[in-house]
Amino acid sequence: MAVQESAAQLSMTLKVQEYPTLKVPYETLNKRFRAAQKNIDRETSHVTMVVAELEKTLSGCPAVDSVVSLLDGVVEKLSVLKRKAVESIQAEDESAKLCKRRIEHLKEHSSDQPAAASVWKRKRMDRMMVEHLLRCGYYNTAVKLARQSGIEDLVNIEMFLTAKEVEESLERRETATCLAWCHDNKSRLRKMKTCKKALQPSRREPAGRGAPGHGHAGLPARHAHLPVQAPESGVRLHRLPWFFLLLTLCILSDLLDPARWRMLIQQFRYDNYRLHQLGNNSVFTLTLQAGLSAIKTPQCYKEDGSSKSPDCPVCSRSLNKLAQPLPMAHCANSRLVCKISGDVMNENNPPMMLPNGYVYGYNSLLSIRQDDKVVCPRTKEVFHFSQAEKVYIM
Amino acid sequence: MADCSLDLPGSSNPPSHLGLLRSWDHRRVPPCPALQGTPLSATLSLVMSQCCRKIKDTVQKLASDHKDIHSSVSRVGKAIDRNFDSEICGVVSDAVWDAREQQQQILQMAIVEHLYQQGMLSVAEELCQESTLNVDLDFKQPFLELNRILEALHEQDLGPALEWAVSHRQRLLELNSSLEFKLHRLHFIRLLAGGPAKQLEALSYARHFQPFARLHQREIQVMMGSLVYLRLGLEKSPYCHLLDSSHWAEICETFTRDACSLLGLSVESPLSVSFASGCVALPVLMNIKAVIEQRQCTGVWNHKDELPIEIELGMKCWYHSVFACPILRQQTSDSNPPIKLICGHVISRDALNKLINGGKLKCPYCPMEQNPADGKRIIF
Repeated sequence: MAVQESAAQLSMTLKVQEYPTLKVPYETLNKRFRAAQKNIDRETSHVTMVVAELEKTLSGCPAVDSVVSLLDGVVEKLSVLKRKAVESIQAEDESAKLCKRRIEHLKEHSSDQPAAASVWKRKRMDRMMVEHLLRCGYYNTAVKLARQSGIEDLVNIEMFLTAKEVEESLERRETATCLAWCHDNKSRLRKMKTCKKALQPSRREPAGRGAPGHGHAGLPARHAHLPVQAPESGVRLHRLPWFFLLLTLCILSDLLDPARWRMLIQQFRYDNYRLHQLGNNSVFTLTLQAGLSAIKTPQCYKEDGSSKSPDCPVCSRSLNKLAQPLPMAHCANSRLVCKISGDVMNENNPPMMLPNGYVYGYNSLLSIRQDDKVVCPRTKEVFHFSQAEKVYIM
Repeated sequence: MADCSLDLPGSSNPPSHLGLLRSWDHRRVPPCPALQGTPLSATLSLVMSQCCRKIKDTVQKLASDHKDIHSSVSRVGKAIDRNFDSEICGVVSDAVWDAREQQQQILQMAIVEHLYQQGMLSVAEELCQESTLNVDLDFKQPFLELNRILEALHEQDLGPALEWAVSHRQRLLELNSSLEFKLHRLHFIRLLAGGPAKQLEALSYARHFQPFARLHQREIQVMMGSLVYLRLGLEKSPYCHLLDSSHWAEICETFTRDACSLLGLSVESPLSVSFASGCVALPVLMNIKAVIEQRQCTGVWNHKDELPIEIELGMKCWYHSVFACPILRQQTSDSNPPIKLICGHVISRDALNKLINGGKLKCPYCPMEQNPADGKRIIF
């Protein structure tokens, strides 16, 4: 591999890049745990209630049939409890296992065998690329790449596919899926204090534009949401009754404009990222920017293209254009590379200057020497080998 | 879960005591009407109350056991937050690539090129389709061919590779590549592994070695020597190392390397080198940004055209010459080029101007004095 990464450097990079890899499955685990706890508590209270009733009947002088019917009730509640508990706990277990698998994979970065380490690095690049492709909306490619690379477990495909469904439904101007999503994540959204989406979709419903099955009935439930803020008008609407909303809707009829839908989709995307504690740019983009900056030198951008190197990534066609707005690498120490051979020029291969001012490595000059003469590869001038002077670089 | 059974009074079965483990079939036919009004016997009442208590205890225990997991779950979350950085600040402002649609297109193109080079052709095709990018056929063509040959090599089929090597023989010789010889050698070894039956075939194949006799004499001698052990079996002979399977991995690598040099490409795609260097650069840059913000000296990184700190990528990443003036500790540029003094030491022009004293210039590294105009501009 061209770039040397020591084990310590790898750990530092892990710290910076892998937060989304672990946080997203953890949040799923947390959510499922809380749902399981709620289910269990609810069913337990049902069971306790019927058992208490049974006990009360027993303390009197009960008849057999009443006891039998109460017992039936108890058994039914118990079986419901068992079923729900098993389902919830299985879901939790699955989430926990996923977290564990990812952690195990990340631990492999410090493997001793170089072959295993390079496989891990290749998988890392593929993982970041898959996440980047998902963010760009190229879902099929991302899934294919994940499958081919064997990293399906290690990337957050489900999260993006769920988001894709919501976005596609919003593009069709249907608000049902988005509202369902809001409801699903309402506790976390509430914590983030962004309930504006809860209001905006409901505004469109009474107009009946492409929102099947949502009539005025949808509205009364909505006003129970917390204070919301309309972003454009900056108006705060506290628990407005539904008819008032209808009135505002008639007045603000421009809300049905397609641009609002696009903004809504953007807003959804932004909130979805924040919900899962992801940034707005993919880790891949940020890493690539840093990498291109670290390699970029002024020689990659010389106008006549004479100093382009075939190996330099920034000199390659596409990356050259991409790296243009980025800062250059900072070099405090000289490092010299011979233009002929690509070898480093140091005390083992001292730099030699030809009379035209061009510098080459001593070994390369030896290799291109013919009959004691050398031809400068860049200007085609012919010089005597002895005319090359040694240069001293401190 | 507590289950209990009920003994009907008046039946011939003796009353049960705490039969918790016997299952209750709640679909059982309800008790016959004759028993309906009958009151429950005291023993059964007792059993039932104990059952009830047991049920209550068990379900409470279930709920509280599950609740106890909460602390472990939240500890996982806290550990993640503690050990990983939740936000990456970019090298530049976030929007530098978003603002231009074109940049996104170029990035997708770079990814497609990378996928072709890695041999993931179907994924690359899919991306082209989804992002409506068009890749010229002449760009794709060499990769398609290379991929085909590599796949054949992975299956230990040397045919396509040999064809390719023969057709590019001249250029491979210019590169000093021994690919063709190695392919012939592998084929020969495979014939040898077939045992005494293949002896004649192996011998006639050995004629292919003739053009390489000068360069690879020793290796040819080794292979001819191994014929002696053909009857005994190569595995037990001193030539068993010829049968090593690592030769196959090696030939794939040699082929990839030589093919890429021929095509003028580097073995690793530019995207993967950039990404790998980014992985090294990112934590360093984030650290320095944090330090700058902490010490509140944001003025240090004010010129956005250069990174604030040097990133060590290793010597293999030195693609261009960079000269940093040893006096001013700055990179030279076209407006401030490196100048060689008469004594051979090199400094930047700005440093030279600063050192001029009364029309004369003394080299900072040796006692040589000279005229400033004698400095010669050099180009690396």
